[in-house]
Amino acid sequence: MNLSDDESTLLTHIREARESRETAVPKAEELGIGIDGAYRVQAALVEGREVIGYKLGLIKPEGQAQMGVDSPIYGRAHEDMVLESPVRLSSFLQPQFEPELAVVLGEDLPPGTSPGAAHAAIGGIYLAIDFLSNVWEGGTPTVADVVANNVAGGAFLLGERLLSEPLEGSLRLYHNGRLLTEGPVGGIGNIGERLVWLSEAVSGLEAGQAIFLGTPAVPQEAVAGTIELHGPRGSVLVADLQD
Amino acid sequence: MSEGSAGTKIDAEALARRLDEAWESREPIAPLSESEGLEDVERAYEIQTRWSELRTSRGERIVGRKIGLTSLAMQEQLGVSEPDYGSLWSSRYFPAQGGRAEIPAGPFLQPFLEGELAFLIGRPLAGPGVTLQEALAATEALAVAVEVVDSRIEDWNIKLPDTIADNASYGGFTTGPWSRDLREADLRTVGMLINKSGSRVAEGMGAASLGHPAEAVAWLANKLASFGTELEPGDIVLSGSLGRAVPAKQGDIFVLEAHGQPPLTVTFA
Repeated sequence: MNLSDDESTLLTHIREARESRETAVPKAEELGIGIDGAYRVQAALVEGREVIGYKLGLIKPEGQAQMGVDSPIYGRAHEDMVLESPVRLSSFLQPQFEPELAVVLGEDLPPGTSPGAAHAAIGGIYLAIDFLSNVWEGGTPTVADVVANNVAGGAFLLGERLLSEPLEGSLRLYHNGRLLTEGPVGGIGNIGERLVWLSEAVSGLEAGQAIFLGTPAVPQEAVAGTIELHGPRGSVLVADLQD
Repeated sequence: MSEGSAGTKIDAEALARRLDEAWESREPIAPLSESEGLEDVERAYEIQTRWSELRTSRGERIVGRKIGLTSLAMQEQLGVSEPDYGSLWSSRYFPAQGGRAEIPAGPFLQPFLEGELAFLIGRPLAGPGVTLQEALAATEALAVAVEVVDSRIEDWNIKLPDTIADNASYGGFTTGPWSRDLREADLRTVGMLINKSGSRVAEGMGAASLGHPAEAVAWLANKLASFGTELEPGDIVLSGSLGRAVPAKQGDIFVLEAHGQPPLTVTFA
């Protein structure tokens, strides 16, 4: 991976922030790094670890408009990021979490694929919870910041019940018995289209990879407690968050 | 030839033949862990493999795999912390028709019946790193299954290497109809009852097998990878007993009931 000096600087700062859990990172903009450079930083951030899938961010049109882009963004998921309960929040920076669905691919999906082929490649859909780790203190990070920080990729929980389309209803996230946030499953968008876009963006997806589709709800601050994610057809994911 | 832990030579080929003779003659043998000092798990799998090769060379077909020791109770009993696996041999597959299967008592030594979930693999599943979500995604359909477990070791006096060498105590199996809908059930909470001659003798649920039956399938895919092999489309995987094993003798009639599935009746004839 060939990074410019500025990109290397950003990479070093993000890496140190994640390791030391201290938020003192220059913004990509200050270093003159755009979105392409940010994706290079992201790739370098996870280098050496096996990519087991991807996560989508900025899936809502209004969020994209706000950030001045016209497509979602993606981050890389590696092996160490898929957790089981209990989840230790101390390993994240300013942790937030959000309810999602994730696709596990049953077949390879080369770039340039059709929406129908993308649907056919879906092996299963699962409930998921996405834990976000934000390395910037205060202020609104730009798209380049978010991309460089692996779309705030911290960790994931995956449901254990296979779901398949059509999916209706909502994703409802509870914390200690209280409804924290919810969003309609439809807010995730057309899953086939998402996969087509992503396979193009990352030059192809592989069978077995997990694709976290982004949230139709609003991210919430993650604090210790019992969480429940309720989804379509009575599916549920229960986990314990610890400091 | 290789060293047994007791210093004796372990001849996998000869021990495979000895197990096969016990299988055919229904005369059990002494535990290999005692008579041969067999302690090594890899060596035990080697014996199992030799035995499978011996049988396939005579026309036996491998139609899938079985996973054993998936319950905490069984693991504690044998003092182990992971499951084991064996091969499903087609000569002991007893297809059910209209929800009924007849299993002859004749071929078995000391049989028990277990209620399980069977996975029909639809897409290649190769470890390492297979997750339960991937295992489910690669599954074409599921069925309820009755497995006959049996031991070629006298009095079921087994340690881990004994049962591994003995094809994970495989006896035979049958399944109910394959269901695609069952893929989308919460497999942890799928419950099962076994009736024997009119009385309920065992009950269980999906979570009893490694927390989730598909977790057992994922374990198998990863274990097979360490032997350079994988699960292939068409393979049947018996994912482990969901309740206790029930002794079976000639004349017993078993009815397996599982949530949302038609009953499966097994006549042990």
